[in-house]
Amino acid sequence: MKPGETKVACGAIPAEWLAEFEAAERRPLKTRFRYAFIRTHKPVLDDASYRSFDTMEDYRRWCAKNLPDWLGYGRV
Amino acid sequence: MAAFEYRQAEEIRDVFARHGVRYLFIGKSAAILLGFPDTTQDADLFVLKSPENGRSIVAGLRELGFDLNACQAAEIERGKDFVQLKNGPFDLDLVFAPDGIERFEDAWKRHVNVEGFPVCHLDDIIASKEASGRQKDRESLPRLRSFREYWLRQRPSGHR
Repeated sequence: MKPGETKVACGAIPAEWLAEFEAAERRPLKTRFRYAFIRTHKPVLDDASYRSFDTMEDYRRWCAKNLPDWLGYGRV
Repeated sequence: MAAFEYRQAEEIRDVFARHGVRYLFIGKSAAILLGFPDTTQDADLFVLKSPENGRSIVAGLRELGFDLNACQAAEIERGKDFVQLKNGPFDLDLVFAPDGIERFEDAWKRHVNVEGFPVCHLDDIIASKEASGRQKDRESLPRLRSFREYWLRQRPSGHR
């Protein structure tokens, strides 16, 4: 494979992703869970014990206004 | 707060079943239940917006250990579009009106059962992420779409 090429296998699925999907499928759900859920503190978002929004639009607006950009909650 | 655990997902499943809560796992936590190899922080539940289901949700959440005051319980019973809970044994987002999905009943017809967990179909998970327009969703979509292709191939033709 030449540098910069993406190895593609099984239709349009990149080979690296395909290998990950197959490996995940071999694991029991309990094991997948153990490694899938991680805990890191998200500033602002994690600083209140309860929040509610009348509409999803309100929630999106709140995220755009209050959360740091690097959290990725802003709209593109 | 520790990371969300399989045991806690089982508790949601069992407690909500006892209270007759109508809900579906949605978002990345749902994709993970379907086999998507990725990481996330909390569970997102798409819940039917109705007074009866709202009361069942509140009863179920209290049994799970969420500390809801009367005002919060009333909001959930009334059905806000989005509720973020960090006042219980684990973090939970309740989504009453996810972007990209018209009605709960439509998603329910397409849902997938994974070891007793009711999970949104990958098409609905992808549709809601596409509609949200968020940077983090935009970044995860190519891999999620590839997983959809893989996942559909693994499923019997009558269960797609």
